Amino acid sequence: MSAALPALDAVAVVVVRGGELPPGADESAAEAGAAALLVGDGTEGARARLSSARTVWTVEARLPDAGVLAEVLAPLLARVHTVLLPASSDGRDLAPRLAVALDRPLLAGAVSVAGQGAEVLRHDGRQLVELAATGPFVATLLPGVRGAEPADGDPVTYRIEARWPDAPGGTHTLGTVAPEAGDTPLPEASRVLGAGAGLGGGTAVALLAGVGRILGASVGATRAVTDQGLLPHDRQIGTTGVVVDPDLYLAFGISGAAQHVGGLGSPRHVVSVNTDPHCPMTAMADLGIVADAPAVLAELARRLEAPHD
Amino acid sequence: MTERMFDVVVVGAGPAGSAAALTAARAGLSVALVERGPHPGSKNVYGGVVYGRVLDELVPRWWEQLPAQRWITRRSTMIMTDRQAVTVDVRAEAWGGPPYNGATAFRADLDGWLARLAEEAGAVLVPSTVATGLLRDVDGMVRGVRTDRPDGDLTAGVVIACDGVNSFLAKEAGLFTDRDTAQHNSLGVKETLALPREVLEDRFALRGRDGLDMEILGCTRGIPGGGFLYTNLDSISLGVVVGLKGLADSGVRPEELLADLRAHPSIAPLVRGAELKEYTAHLLPEGGYDTMPELVGDGILVAGDAAAMCLAAGVWLEGVNFAIGAGMYAGRAAVEALARDDTSLAGLAGYRRMLEESFVLADHRKLRRVPGLVFSDRVQQRYPALLCDLAEEFFRVDNPRPKPGLGRLLRRTASRHGVRLRHLLSDAVTGWRSFG
Amino acid sequence: MLVAAAIRHADPGAPVDPLTGAVREDRRPGRASDAGPAALEHALRLADALGGRCVAVTVAGPEADGMLREALAAGAHEVLRVEGPAQDGAATARTVHRALLERHGVPDVVVCGDESASHGTGATPAFLAARLGAAQALGLLELRAAQGALHAVRRLDAGRSERLRVPLPAVCSVLAGSVRPRRAPLPAVLAASRSAVPVVTVAPPTSPEAVRTVAVRPYRPRPKVLPGPSGDTARDRMLALTGTFVPRTPPRVVTAAEPAHAVDELLGFLRSHGYLEQGG
Ligand SMILES: Cc1cc2nc3c(=O)[nH]c(=O)nc-3n(C[C@H](O)[C@H](O)[C@H](O)COP(=O)(O)OP(=O)(O)OC[C@H]3O[C@@H](n4cnc5c(N)ncnc54)[C@H](O)[C@@H]3O)c2cc1C
Ligand SMILES: Cc1cc2nc3c(=O)[nH]c(=O)nc-3n(C[C@H](O)[C@H](O)[C@H](O)COP(=O)(O)OP(=O)(O)OC[C@H]3O[C@@H](n4cnc5c(N)ncnc54)[C@H](O)[C@@H]3O)c2cc1C
Ligand SMILES: Nc1ncnc2c1ncn2[C@@H]1O[C@H](COP(=O)(O)O)[C@@H](O)[C@H]1O
Repeated sequence: MSAALPALDAVAVVVVRGGELPPGADESAAEAGAAALLVGDGTEGARARLSSARTVWTVEARLPDAGVLAEVLAPLLARVHTVLLPASSDGRDLAPRLAVALDRPLLAGAVSVAGQGAEVLRHDGRQLVELAATGPFVATLLPGVRGAEPADGDPVTYRIEARWPDAPGGTHTLGTVAPEAGDTPLPEASRVLGAGAGLGGGTAVALLAGVGRILGASVGATRAVTDQGLLPHDRQIGTTGVVVDPDLYLAFGISGAAQHVGGLGSPRHVVSVNTDPHCPMTAMADLGIVADAPAVLAELARRLEAPHD
Repeated sequence: MTERMFDVVVVGAGPAGSAAALTAARAGLSVALVERGPHPGSKNVYGGVVYGRVLDELVPRWWEQLPAQRWITRRSTMIMTDRQAVTVDVRAEAWGGPPYNGATAFRADLDGWLARLAEEAGAVLVPSTVATGLLRDVDGMVRGVRTDRPDGDLTAGVVIACDGVNSFLAKEAGLFTDRDTAQHNSLGVKETLALPREVLEDRFALRGRDGLDMEILGCTRGIPGGGFLYTNLDSISLGVVVGLKGLADSGVRPEELLADLRAHPSIAPLVRGAELKEYTAHLLPEGGYDTMPELVGDGILVAGDAAAMCLAAGVWLEGVNFAIGAGMYAGRAAVEALARDDTSLAGLAGYRRMLEESFVLADHRKLRRVPGLVFSDRVQQRYPALLCDLAEEFFRVDNPRPKPGLGRLLRRTASRHGVRLRHLLSDAVTGWRSFG
Repeated sequence: MLVAAAIRHADPGAPVDPLTGAVREDRRPGRASDAGPAALEHALRLADALGGRCVAVTVAGPEADGMLREALAAGAHEVLRVEGPAQDGAATARTVHRALLERHGVPDVVVCGDESASHGTGATPAFLAARLGAAQALGLLELRAAQGALHAVRRLDAGRSERLRVPLPAVCSVLAGSVRPRRAPLPAVLAASRSAVPVVTVAPPTSPEAVRTVAVRPYRPRPKVLPGPSGDTARDRMLALTGTFVPRTPPRVVTAAEPAHAVDELLGFLRSHGYLEQGG
């Protein structure tokens, strides 16, 4: 039962819930040189799922408030130069608090982290800023930007018994809610129809659901769509939403921002319907159709419902 | 009668609206300027050239303040077919200094500047607010507007509708007698293409802040319309404006026309290597004088594109200057009417008179036949080809054969393009009457 | 009881030069970014429910005055514009915190938006919570006051969410779609249109910057590392790696003049790749 991590160049700090790894866990561990600290409930199971780490520390705990968690973890991480967290919900929650507790800067939203700094995305993912830190730092890595190479063999594992405050204050979890049950849960769907801002509005989005039923596809969306409240948040595909891995992805009016594509897995076939032939989504598509997405969707719905002859 | 909230409510903070608000506020009236977008110019699109002479009356030495990209010192008119082009290129160094002629400017900059002038004069800008209807009293007199905000009624002595093409307010006021407006609308599509400043200046033979304004005929696959190419500081605005009806009938997509234009042998070298920054589209009224609505109603005036005051015919694409002029006169008419305490149709009639006496209606009346001429099949399809062939043959050296005379060439080319000399002559007369 | 709404002023369409990555930062009046209006709406409701005052605060230049006046018209009791460092979440939090202390005292609740478009890190509220010693709840789908505390639903990964009880003082960040922001009534807009916006200036820290910007570039995705190929024999792995026998059509971009043409292309593609029955 060692009290703290040794002096390391980098370690990934990964928050685990019910044995589940957050998106970007493997990538963060890989980016951090195959070292990871797992904290949360079910770290043992999560460790088995983490494929890219060679050394793993686990801290088993019922997750407290992010501020409390940061205070407990900071002493363990004092000798680690780069503390890297996946920019998942819990990672983004914890990273700033760890930075404060360790008295270090936070380099948030990175696409790559190396030695003395990180390359971070700004302006909705359109701009890359290279930042250099003068000393040790904390960073968050956007999921889906690098991929991860599996490490061979079982990782060396150290369990840490952390010391928790007697009466931790702060935010208190009352319970977890599973995503609304659709036909097929989005992460498992083999065909996904994606709704983007270019689809225009509610009516088209509603039409998409109908087309999805005929094609046996689930409906996902970009943040632009879920932010407008046109679809529930659990339909948001991307680094801060759901990660999918379908065979077929049909994108309607989606520009293909890094944060969206980051949650797309590696679909075998991609079709993009967009008025802009140069947008990244069309650039990565097997078939790019330059056309008005709402009109194409309306026509598609009409044709698919037409009886066979 | 309950106290009115403002003397004047202006709807739309485009060039027309801001000029109206500025004029009325300067005269000491209380003015509200209602704009749909979060800031003036946020949703507006145009080609990019503004002719500032009209500002002389509103803003002394306006050229020291106008947020200009470049000053127009070269004006070209290019007439093209698929593989040919004839260009008339006018360069006037004098336009590059005070009092200047025209400038390229971005809409958000231009509209923001004009609206700020109105605010500085005392007008209240009400952004992110849509006028949704007219308020009328029992006699049908317009008494204000309704907006999409809670408790959104705005009462006023005079409403000036500057809400742009397809004016909802002018329609609701019953000022459009002709219902079929789609026929008289054009669609403008535009790309902003970025080029490093030095490259752009080299390519277009420009120095300092000099700029080029090029209008293009014959680039629309025979759909009534035309194209343009304007230079900004470090970007090019390239666009086409085509009649909606022609566009719909042809089944061609406007981006295709733009792509054609970009790839044309005379244009491609000018835009080579440029990076696409923005693609925008907007409607504009094209019908000119004969399609204008009534400009005055009881308690309401209509100005700018809302009153179809845009001149979009062939070698001209001017709307901003007409909008500013009309807005200014609308402001003045409102001031006069309120001073006399008569905002009825009769009390506001000074507006029409001022417009008639100024370039706004004078130019439009003079050019009333131009839309018909420019959008005719002959001008759109046959003349560009005819002219290009004529020029090509005229300049072709066919030794040892002797050079043919121009008259013979003209007859030969005209008949090859199915153009009768009689029609050519009559179009020439119409053209001369309008432009001469 | 003081409820603050921290909102960021932004030009949502600020163009980024595709060649250099430089952003044409617009100094024009814009509006609250993304989740800003939602943050204000929640703050107004909480102030109402808790019987407190609501102050809308932003770190920005005078171009944000319009946004603050809109907040005033929507029902904020006060607004505050702060001139000071805001280059990242930590700096923004420090600036907001100092300005609030100077002008209004310690807030009981601060409601922020989720990630802002221009920064997009979502870190500001967490840094604020740390400074205030407050409970934090980020990325909320729902937020309401009940029995002297806040009840919230927070978005987790993979479409899950969790229900939270957040004691006061608290810093929350809400998602843009979490609530429909109210429209300010017109008389209030007119009344606010001339009101002066109070400004507080916060000096930058004297300690040297711990982070330096080295370069700004447009974003180009980095190559992805893929897990090694699976297969029993070296030959199988090699084939999997090179994709030799995987049927592949070269990417194609078509422009469709008519929706019908587009659908022909689309259905043709789906059929030829076995997603639809032939002739279906
Ligand atoms: C920290 C952070 C996390 C984020 N996480 C996510 C995430 O998890 N998931 C996510 O999706 N986003 C996420 N985003 C937002 C993301 O950066 C993009 O803003 C978003 O994905 C854009 O959605 P969009 O493609 O629908 O909209 P836009 O980028 O606005 O694109 C609209 C597209 O539609 C096209 N279009 C317009 N009109 C038409 C028409 N009539 N017909 C056809 N096409 C048309 C346009 O050409 C354009 O390509 C995140 C952002 C940040 C900063
Ligand atoms: C592609 C294109 C290229 C052009 N090129 C040129 C050129 O190079 N030079 C030139 O001089 N002209 C050009 N024009 C024409 C010129 O843009 C217009 O004639 C001019 O903008 C008219 O000004 P306006 O103030 O009447 O209307 P607009 O500029 O259209 O302004 C109307 C304003 O009203 C607001 N509004 C509308 N409805 C409401 C409502 N209900 N409530 C509140 N606000 C409302 C709008 O948001 C807008 O701000 C071009 C037009 C197009 C489309
Ligand atoms: N300059 C600022 N002024 C006020 N609030 C801000 C500012 N920047 C960020 N915030 C708040 O912090 C949230 C998250 O922003 P960010 O950390 O930039 O992603 C925003 O939605 C705002 O609520």
